[in-house]
Amino acid sequence: MSQPLKNTIGYQIVYNWLTSQQRKPFLFQQETWQHIINGKSGLVNAPTGCGKTYSVFLGALIQFINEHSKNYKDKKNSGLQLLWITPLRALAKDIARAMEEVIAGLEMKWKIGIRNGDTNTAERARQKKQMPEVLIITPESLHLLLAQKGYKEFFSSLKIIAVDEWHELLGSKRGVQVELAISRIVGSRKQDIANTSDSSNSKLLTPDSRLSTPDSQLSIWGISATIGNIEEAKNILISPLEKEGVTIKAEMEKTVEVESIFPDEIEKYPWSGHLGIKLISKVIPIVLESKTTLIFINTRGMSETWYQKILDACPELAGVIALHHGSVDMELRTWIEENLHSGKLKAVVCTASLDLGVDFRPVETVIQVGSPKGVARFLQRAGRSGHSFDAASKIYFLPTHSLELMEAAALKNAIAEKLIESREPMILCYDVLVQYLSTLAVSDGFDPECIFKEIITTNCYKEMTEEEWNRILNFISSGGNALQQYDDYKKMEWEDGLFKIKNRRIAMRHRMNIGTIVSESMLKVKFISGGYVGVIEEYFISRLQPGDVFTLAGRNLEFVAIKDMTALVKKSSSKKSKVPSWQGGRMPLSANLGFMLRKTLDKIKIQNPIAIGSKSGEAVPDIYKFLPAELVKLKPLFELQEELSYLPGENELLIEQIETEDGFHLFVYPFEGRLVHEAMAAILAYRISRITPITFSFAMNDYGFELLSDQPIPIDDSNVYELFSPENLLEDIQRSINSTEMAKRKFRDIAVIGGLIFQGYPGEQKKARHLQNSASLLFNVLSEYEPDNLLLRQSYTEVMEQQMEEARLRDMLKRIQDSKIVLTFPKQLTPFCFPVKVDSLREELSSEKLEDRIRKMIPQS
Amino acid sequence: MQQPLKHIIHKNTFWLSADRCMYWEEEKTLILADLHFGKTGHFRKSGIAIPQAVYKEDLQRLVNLIQHFQPKELIVVGDLFHSKANKELELFQKWRNDLASIKLQLVKGNHDILDEVWYQRAGIEVYQQELFIKDFSFVHDIKGSGIPSSHSKLYTFSGHIHPAIQLIGPGKQSFRFPCFYFTRKFAVLPAFSRFTGTHLIDPKKGEKVYAIADGKLIPVS
Repeated sequence: MSQPLKNTIGYQIVYNWLTSQQRKPFLFQQETWQHIINGKSGLVNAPTGCGKTYSVFLGALIQFINEHSKNYKDKKNSGLQLLWITPLRALAKDIARAMEEVIAGLEMKWKIGIRNGDTNTAERARQKKQMPEVLIITPESLHLLLAQKGYKEFFSSLKIIAVDEWHELLGSKRGVQVELAISRIVGSRKQDIANTSDSSNSKLLTPDSRLSTPDSQLSIWGISATIGNIEEAKNILISPLEKEGVTIKAEMEKTVEVESIFPDEIEKYPWSGHLGIKLISKVIPIVLESKTTLIFINTRGMSETWYQKILDACPELAGVIALHHGSVDMELRTWIEENLHSGKLKAVVCTASLDLGVDFRPVETVIQVGSPKGVARFLQRAGRSGHSFDAASKIYFLPTHSLELMEAAALKNAIAEKLIESREPMILCYDVLVQYLSTLAVSDGFDPECIFKEIITTNCYKEMTEEEWNRILNFISSGGNALQQYDDYKKMEWEDGLFKIKNRRIAMRHRMNIGTIVSESMLKVKFISGGYVGVIEEYFISRLQPGDVFTLAGRNLEFVAIKDMTALVKKSSSKKSKVPSWQGGRMPLSANLGFMLRKTLDKIKIQNPIAIGSKSGEAVPDIYKFLPAELVKLKPLFELQEELSYLPGENELLIEQIETEDGFHLFVYPFEGRLVHEAMAAILAYRISRITPITFSFAMNDYGFELLSDQPIPIDDSNVYELFSPENLLEDIQRSINSTEMAKRKFRDIAVIGGLIFQGYPGEQKKARHLQNSASLLFNVLSEYEPDNLLLRQSYTEVMEQQMEEARLRDMLKRIQDSKIVLTFPKQLTPFCFPVKVDSLREELSSEKLEDRIRKMIPQS
Repeated sequence: MQQPLKHIIHKNTFWLSADRCMYWEEEKTLILADLHFGKTGHFRKSGIAIPQAVYKEDLQRLVNLIQHFQPKELIVVGDLFHSKANKELELFQKWRNDLASIKLQLVKGNHDILDEVWYQRAGIEVYQQELFIKDFSFVHDIKGSGIPSSHSKLYTFSGHIHPAIQLIGPGKQSFRFPCFYFTRKFAVLPAFSRFTGTHLIDPKKGEKVYAIADGKLIPVS
């Protein structure tokens, strides 16, 4: 059945073409091709920029040529052969271009189509009439395709489903969308086969139609960067096939060089509370010396400031430096990307908006400002530089406060040990399922029995019970609690054994709402004189008065008015401006990086040498000699920490109790990331409040958290282990006040995805005004009148899993039980507690006052 | 339920209820705003599954209030109904038939878009803009109708904005409660319906606010 790849005609033709392009296939590509022609499924694990697209795409071509060796050049309109799912619609064009090049080179007649939000209706209609051989599509558009009548036809000739950047989709609801779409495509193909074999007894079947019989050879291929759970990633993707898959690893590890940008004197570098701007003078030479530099900043607000400050520091960069983030106008972003390709830009200040995507070959250098929060993300960003295969990726790390330098050391270690984060898949997302069922009901209707069998082949819904399934069906067909004769709930109707949505308006609204990315309510920003600048959160604009000046896309803009969901602005020459704070985007430190940080601390922690040295007056053995440069640099800070308090080792948990004029502070340093700390702070506060009546406020960052009270906090050797006990964790989480508020925040997205809140498009909103509703109101109503509502329940589950990171929280508590808890009572604020304390202020005070406050808080030396 | 609180304007006594309405003693009139009847039905008709229990509870609360205060008249300062007619309104009509003796007056709100005939059949007296009784007037949206001038003796009751007040406690805790809002020349009533959002007000000195928290009325300023 299977034959060696190299003997096949398809391989020879593709090989010859590659040779004519002075290229040679890589080993991992050949491996993939062999598996593809054998009809296998699996996952290609390869970094960006080393021919991962070819690994699957050329495989599909080889397979096609082999099957149509006589007429492969002339065969037209073969129907969809390869479905290419990509997370980024900006990528589609580049991928299509690369594919078209090959098709032209091989003189074939394949068509490459793109299907996403930008595809116009004429093109959609053309595709409906005749599907191109390759369709490049986003998960959302794929679901929109499933919302079309007769969608099964599109997939009847399909050979390969490829999912690009699977690591990006996995772990998100978009990944769940992919799982569901695959389960449907696989399911509909199985139905096809069943139907054909039923009719195969009939003599009417012509030999020709037998040839075009859809065989079972539908394969699924994922393409993914390295993540901790690569095998699981593969299994999830191909799960609906109920077959084993292969994992192919591209053995082309790139060397990553990490270099920290050091402040000249660590003593004078702020302990916290700024954006790294002080080091700008060190950034300019790096930018000037490299061909092109990407400067990654963690938040959009910070990137606006950085962009301005770089221009201030080096005005000659004007025109060759750009700002790229999610709120910058799409057109401008495309322009920036094109100029990155052509090498016309010297530097781009960017956020995660440039994490993904095709390679920008001219990029030589990457600078990461502030913590990258995770190893995988840091590597991915590093990988954006040095694209020739032999070139190392070079990344500079610029700390925004002194302790952050420790992270550079931890990252280096993690890279050396290949400790890369996993992407945890999402489980039992009722909201996505409700949306998906509506999608199927809009197109051809669905048979519940058949769809239930399909969805339990996916990883996301494999644990779903029939009882839960029936509740979902009941929810979408009868709409929960109702007043029987006074109800005209209408969504799905039951007809010919299928659930269908027949109301045209409901169907249309559903199509408009397909997707799982729920954006904050955004306003377009437009000049009065015309021309878009970008988008901005309604929340931010609503607090502005006309005449206020703010910064967006690197411009100072004066707010004039809001009209028709658009914020009208004019240019401003004002020096002072507000920088928008965008919601979200505050990733917590990953568990891996937290672990490495604790290990890093362990390295510097040796038997308190400073104390010994100072007592005896003898020379201290230089323990810093063998440490990474970052830790050497931090020596004064660690010494101060040791002197004022204590430097915890890997198996120790430091708790500091400090009294200031603000009150009684308790600082705890688990190094587990902001979210776990937030949850732990609430739980600890709750547990302490059971000992004595007490009120706290909390603050947290990625390293630790703070409880602040106006009375002494009763925590000591006798009760500290008990307070950090993993016992009754779940109950205590539920009792600690935050979970309802957190669930309310989660519920917004869930309600939109699950179709309870209608977002609509800007401009459309007026029409549907009587259907407007706020998530928090709906949350309250459901909590009171339908507490067992599935979507409501999901919001609590998501809080547990994502917000609280319950599993990680539990692991942390177990770890703490096995470690030594060190309680100290420093006389003043320590280097460790300072960033925690200041981060908390950030939420209360405006930036100007903050700086004043910080100045006052720094101990006078 | 807590006993209603007394609030006096122009020597008239208004009893504020934590159930989101007020009773005018001299005129034996219950004053309500923003009931949004039929709202859950409107959503449900569009395939959005809001539990109807909210509506049922709102209606039940109204019945209880009528039994309690025994008013002769009801004045609704707008948004009695949420949108077009739907089945839920049949339940309203049934309720109306049972209490046909009570006079029901509606100052139209922006949501009251039913046919005039519909109101007639339901025995509702409709006022397009404003209703005057003694030294008082009743409008839906105070911003739209204009605040009575300081020379006039007129005092206006309104609804529309679904007023709420934010209370900030220690430890960054903040709460938001629906409220009654009395200024020198006008008052804004809380939305009667529990299925409504709220709008934060920013009371000035000398104005009176009663927050509705946990089934109780709490004078805030």
